[in-house]
Amino acid sequence: MTTDADRPAATRAPADEGARLGFRLTLPAQVLVLFISAFPLLMQLYISLTDWSPLTGSPWPRAWEYWNGFANYLDLVSDGRLWRSIWRTLLVVAVAVPIEFLLGLGLAMLFVDDFPGKRVAYSILIAPMMVVPAVAGYMFFMLFQSGGPVNGLLSLFTAEPVALAWLSNPSTALVAVIVADIWQWTPLMFLILLAGLVGVPQDQLRAAALLGASPAQRLVTIVIPRMKTIMLIALALRVIECIKIFDTLFIMTGGGPGDATQTLSVYIYDITTQDLIWGYVAAIALAILVVLSAGAVWAMRRMAR
Amino acid sequence: MSAIRLENLVKRFGSFTALKPTNLAIGDGEFMALLGPSGCGKSTTMNMIAGMEEPSEGRILFGERDMAGVPMGRRGVGFVFQNYAIFTHMSVRRNLDYGLRMSGRPAAEVRRRTEAMADLLGLGDLLDRPTAGLSVNILQRIAIGRSAIMEPAIFLLDEPLSNVDAAFRAVMRTELKSLQRQFRQTMVYVTHDQLEAMTMADRIAVMDHGVLQQVGTPLEVYNAPANTFVARFIGSPGMNLCAGRLAQTDRGLAVDLGALGLTPPLPPALAAAARNGRSEVIYGFRPEAVHPDPAGLRLPLIVAERIGARTILHLGRGGDTVRAVFQGNPDLPADEIALAPDPAAVRLFDAATGAAIAEA
Amino acid sequence: MRRSLAFECFRYVAILVALVITLVPILWMVSMAFKPFSEWQATGDALTWIPRDPTLDNFRFLFGQSGSDLIVALDRTAGKPILASLLSASIGTLIAMSAGTAAAYGLSRYGSGANLPLALIQLRLFPPMAVMIPVMIMWAFLGLMDTWWGLALIYGIVTLPFAFWLMKTFFDDMPKEIEEAALVEGCSRWRVLTRVTLPMMAAPLAAASLFVFILNWSDYLVALLLTTRDWVTIPVYMASLSSSMTGQLYGAKAALGLIAAVPPVVLGLMIQRHLVRGLTFGALKQ
Repeated sequence: MTTDADRPAATRAPADEGARLGFRLTLPAQVLVLFISAFPLLMQLYISLTDWSPLTGSPWPRAWEYWNGFANYLDLVSDGRLWRSIWRTLLVVAVAVPIEFLLGLGLAMLFVDDFPGKRVAYSILIAPMMVVPAVAGYMFFMLFQSGGPVNGLLSLFTAEPVALAWLSNPSTALVAVIVADIWQWTPLMFLILLAGLVGVPQDQLRAAALLGASPAQRLVTIVIPRMKTIMLIALALRVIECIKIFDTLFIMTGGGPGDATQTLSVYIYDITTQDLIWGYVAAIALAILVVLSAGAVWAMRRMAR
Repeated sequence: MSAIRLENLVKRFGSFTALKPTNLAIGDGEFMALLGPSGCGKSTTMNMIAGMEEPSEGRILFGERDMAGVPMGRRGVGFVFQNYAIFTHMSVRRNLDYGLRMSGRPAAEVRRRTEAMADLLGLGDLLDRPTAGLSVNILQRIAIGRSAIMEPAIFLLDEPLSNVDAAFRAVMRTELKSLQRQFRQTMVYVTHDQLEAMTMADRIAVMDHGVLQQVGTPLEVYNAPANTFVARFIGSPGMNLCAGRLAQTDRGLAVDLGALGLTPPLPPALAAAARNGRSEVIYGFRPEAVHPDPAGLRLPLIVAERIGARTILHLGRGGDTVRAVFQGNPDLPADEIALAPDPAAVRLFDAATGAAIAEA
Repeated sequence: MRRSLAFECFRYVAILVALVITLVPILWMVSMAFKPFSEWQATGDALTWIPRDPTLDNFRFLFGQSGSDLIVALDRTAGKPILASLLSASIGTLIAMSAGTAAAYGLSRYGSGANLPLALIQLRLFPPMAVMIPVMIMWAFLGLMDTWWGLALIYGIVTLPFAFWLMKTFFDDMPKEIEEAALVEGCSRWRVLTRVTLPMMAAPLAAASLFVFILNWSDYLVALLLTTRDWVTIPVYMASLSSSMTGQLYGAKAALGLIAAVPPVVLGLMIQRHLVRGLTFGALKQ
């Protein structure tokens, strides 16, 4: 009996051959995805129910010896440091992202027309988001030194020289971190929102102008409604990334002074590498997983409407 | 008040001159068509009238008022774009009442006028529907209504029927024309379709490569084209234009068309004007204005297009072709046709400039 | 549209301000990179933008030549971290692009792997820190800790979503007629992919690869956790350059920061046109 493989290629059903090739093509990606999700998920589920830490000396499969049920989950609900770090993260996001959005939108509106030097200005303005975040962190570390240019610039406006210790003062450290984030990521909003603005049909804008609409009216009745989706995409992207904030911040302040700039990622980093309470970290990780997945599902349902 | 005058209007884009110095007067309440092939400058002219482009030189006047510096939102013109530029994220109603809302009219008045306009254009049932997905014919009516509701004195339309299906085009032509009569607006209508211009316009401004070729009523541009361009562009098919030499025959001055033969003698008035130191002319006659004549041009038949109501004959010899159009479906000899242009329909053009040679 | 004069003035002023703000941090770092040790700590009036005494000492220091003013010698040069970054970023890009392009093509043309778009977006949703413990354990178990190939593997996985989404939108935009014509002429499907599709996709492939490379090169956190000594990448090495003994090596770190930052910025400007597409997972095109 001849099998599929025996028949020459030309006589095999094209659809089969396509499906077969498609399967093989997607296989590597599927394997990698599985590799990075299956084991980590199961492993974290396991040790989140224990009090295991690498300090115990046992390898992690023996974590059951330190079983403590849902204690970790209960702990994280009352963990002050965790919630304060979440609060700080949300604070950073709530301040930085809207500013980035508004500045990016403003810049984008200035770039809709052509003007001399536009290409050069554009290239320079999008450069910050391509700077390695860790390096950007160091840039701002240097800028905010008490003897550094930021104080130097401020001193131009005050009688006495300004010598704020930005990064060692708990109240100003967070400000410095937010400034660094705004510097680095406003260009991203600028880039995306400009692409959206340019996509607003010129003819409709002209028709509106001919009907007597002022620039402000055109903005509100035509530009913004047509950009709703893009603005949402830009905001969503930026919020998600900002919640994960780590590199720049960590280089600038290390989470300090004290825990003044300890955001969620920094907190998890600290208890992973210093306290080494990995069972607890796993519980936090899974809690985050659940919350974010629920959020994503809710968002997708709303979008599908 | 709503007469338009263009004085020495010029438009340049960098080193390219889209419109050479142009003078045109459009009367109050007149329907003027700007007709010409792509790139002739008609859309550029209209954009300048609307205020979307600034003239490089020259003036535009509405009535006696110079429009220089008047922004496009304040000129009191209605404009229908080629692709309609409907606000696709708004409903039909919101499109129609947009201008009224932007100028702050009271809500009750807006509602009333919108519904009146919608009824006028047959859009009453669609008022609160989203515009996305509506047919092109309806979109065009919305585009017209959106501008008309502002009761502009001047209405500008940029090839509005080019996206409309052929069947519907004739209907829309009559609608537009009756709308204009009703509202008595001055209408400037840009098109490349000479049939549209001929059927709708009071006067036609024929343009080519940024230069105004001729301005006149449809009959004028048809019967008395100012140059070879207009002669060829107007009419479907356009006028036959054959190069030839003046030749004195015993029956009068005729034109020797080389491979195509000798024409019948020219009418005396035309013959007198033709001579004027010339030896070469361009001999023109419309394909419809011919009659069978054994003494006329004898030309081999290349192909006959029988399209029912008319028959179009392509005749010629040695690379030169001539078209003749007969009504109906006449029988034709297989190889050679002998025909002559109607004497009153013969036109002569200067061989060098292409300008029409007027009768003395 | 014509704009009023007031608007034009405002536009230029605003853009100028934006340009200055954009360039200040970068230029400050450039300035520090060329400043000698004596000028590092200058404050107040002594603060300068252009070094009084510009020098390449900082760069030399990074590569093992102890400068005259710098008392301490490094126990290793910046050479290996640069190599580590190059290797891990390049091979990581290779992995992400191979798996991603193949899967994107499979989904675009044959509808295979319909779960991938969602799965790969979810991968980007979660804070990396939350999943690093299992990864560290896995990597330790597989002997991949502190190796450049271990880093390359995780980079390949982490940037796979970008590679996949970018290439998928490019494939979706490419008309199928050309491939179908080749199929009709008797090419096998595999050959269509390798001989027809991929050559046509050379430019998008290059752009996507550069984009992914930039992402890999810019990583800090993952390298921080998965490398300890031997194969630290540039950002990790840079952060470790200061110790209680040496104090803040401002100039040297600035020089290293410059070395690290220049490639992505240059590459990013080269692929400007595709940035919007890459960053929004294909939702928008420029």
